[in-house]
Amino acid sequence: MALTQHNLGTVISFEFVRTIKKRGFVIATLALPVILVLIFALVYASNASTKDTADAQKSARFAFTYSDASGIIVPSAAKLAGGTVSSDPEAAIAAVKDGTSDAYFAYPADPAKETVKVYGADKGMFENDKYQAKAKQLLAVSAQNQVGSPQLTAALTGAVKFESETFRDGSAAAGVGGIIPPLLFLVVFYFSMILLSNQMLNSTLEEKENRVTEMILTTLNPTTLITGKIISLFAVGLVQILVFLAPVGLAYLFFRDRLALPEVDLTALVFEPGPIIAGALLTLGGFTVFTGVLVAIGAIMPTAKEAGTVFGPLVAMMFIPFYTFSLIISNPDALIVQIFTYFPLTAPVTALLRNGFGTLNAVEATIVVVELFVVGFVILRLAVHLFRYGSIEYGRKLSIAGTFRRSELAAK
Amino acid sequence: MTLGDAAEPLVHIKDFRMDFGDTTVIRDLSFDVHAGETFGFLGSNGSGKTTTLRALLGIYRPTAGTLHIGGKVFEPRDGASLGYLPEERGLYKKEQVLDVMVYFGRLKGLSKSAARSWSEEYLERVGLAGKAKIRLDKLSSGQQQKVQLGVTIMNNPGLLILDEPTKGFDPVNRRLLMDIIEEHKRAGATVIMVTHQMEEVERLCDRVILLKDGVSRAYGTVEAVQEEFGGTVYRVTHDGSLPASALFDVVSDEDGRAELSPRAGATEEEVLRVLVEAGAGVRSFTPARISLDEIFIKVYGEQHELGEG
Repeated sequence: MALTQHNLGTVISFEFVRTIKKRGFVIATLALPVILVLIFALVYASNASTKDTADAQKSARFAFTYSDASGIIVPSAAKLAGGTVSSDPEAAIAAVKDGTSDAYFAYPADPAKETVKVYGADKGMFENDKYQAKAKQLLAVSAQNQVGSPQLTAALTGAVKFESETFRDGSAAAGVGGIIPPLLFLVVFYFSMILLSNQMLNSTLEEKENRVTEMILTTLNPTTLITGKIISLFAVGLVQILVFLAPVGLAYLFFRDRLALPEVDLTALVFEPGPIIAGALLTLGGFTVFTGVLVAIGAIMPTAKEAGTVFGPLVAMMFIPFYTFSLIISNPDALIVQIFTYFPLTAPVTALLRNGFGTLNAVEATIVVVELFVVGFVILRLAVHLFRYGSIEYGRKLSIAGTFRRSELAAK
Repeated sequence: MTLGDAAEPLVHIKDFRMDFGDTTVIRDLSFDVHAGETFGFLGSNGSGKTTTLRALLGIYRPTAGTLHIGGKVFEPRDGASLGYLPEERGLYKKEQVLDVMVYFGRLKGLSKSAARSWSEEYLERVGLAGKAKIRLDKLSSGQQQKVQLGVTIMNNPGLLILDEPTKGFDPVNRRLLMDIIEEHKRAGATVIMVTHQMEEVERLCDRVILLKDGVSRAYGTVEAVQEEFGGTVYRVTHDGSLPASALFDVVSDEDGRAELSPRAGATEEEVLRVLVEAGAGVRSFTPARISLDEIFIKVYGEQHELGEG
């Protein structure tokens, strides 16, 4: 086995293990799931309490009086719910006030235009809702009884399911189910960059700040070192994503009802090969470009602090396309959208958005993908070049042009 | 990397020139280092020693010339048989001592268990056995230097290139370092050593090169270089005043201890006679070779004088 190949594995293993062993990494990685677990626990407790309260309110039995000027309320239903007709609203209100009656409901002549008045003995902020819940329930049951048709009741209350189907070029269009899968690549891209970009920047700075480069460069080709670092960072990112997703997955599998998580109907998702392939390639290309740029910054800057000043604007480039989100999806031919689509630092996000919403045609997707890989490869080569030279320029900021003007740099 | 045919020099540098922009820092430098010898690479700060080593190890690309190790240009994949201690020291400071040593051992082609076992033995030897699980930045500077030296000599390299190895060591640890270098020398390793400690050079080195402003000013065995720069000196203790004479120069004279450098053609007897006749009160008169320290001062003194002028 060639030493170079052997060393690639050694670099990946060393970089991966030391990253995941760092206390800061463990804290940062576990913080989000712990917070999620806490949130889920609170939501669980809250939802359980709310559900119990709502159930209790619906089934709460208490005596009440009512008056009905609308004629909607069905007396038998009211009686079943514990109600008694009152012909004297003033007396009914007085009875509530002095505590001899729990509640009084005054249904007006036209409930569509007038307010239903609800009076009740105070039982605390949450329990007081039971009066209104009971008045509402009684009105709904009575109205349904008057209509006499479950279908009409469903239509009136909006409890009807709709299903849309649209067509493009003679075939059924994928709709929202077709947008989600390619947009997931945008999520993956953001996740990987947010989680890994800082580490990418620091990974090459570390050799420089620790002045370890000369020792490294006599045993390791810089390309091998940087490739190893990128692969290990990718593995680290996967670990983080899995840790982050673990509580969500567990919550979905075991506590879905209690947490009121939406049902995910995977059968509604449409995996169209074109956008999926384009999304994957755009993600990889974007990852390559940003990785190269971050490694290059690490090679140029003498310290992490100084690198941070360049790092901020670079990260902003990933978010800028979102400021033109509506333009990107509604008018992809607009000049600004075109610029964002082809400028290497805004291209990944813009093209991924357009790819998801179906406004990036095959030719455009091909151009952007090729551009990202070519630019990414060139920047990575430049980053290796700068690392080789810049990493022994201890404590000094590197002039990129200077590294090309000066011929003494070894070209490996 | 094999270390080449014994008949061929292990390190071969021929007509090496190095330009940084418009400035030439090394000019037509040529020298060889043979397998098994200990070679002193001498020169003041900025004379081009580190640049030469970096070019030899492929970190810089030479402007012109040939720089070979084992008959070819050095490449990182040959690093298994090289031990390089750079002038700029540093390791992964936030990692544990043992982890860093094992990592470099792996990069040099050792198995994980071999690297671990070698590292543990070395740490035991240099009194750092209890620090194996400590982060490097928790060690003192001298202790970090020991770890760095361990990383350098790991895998028993056939060629050791040490750029100012004693920098940062106290006298006790300097002795330990020298012992380790001597051990490797005895085991047949070739050692190239950049140092300003001339007594170390005289004790350890077979041959030396003295660099000034990127040009070789002396090259050969220690004795040959001493001969070239005046050969013998006379160490004199005396009670009276030393006379001025066309036969010798007074190199130093302090508290009755003087060092005289004879001019060409002057014999020992003639110099002693001049001193006695002048009433210098000579109490002892000992011929000795000029030290490398003095040669160094001689060569670089010219530069300082010019600079001051």
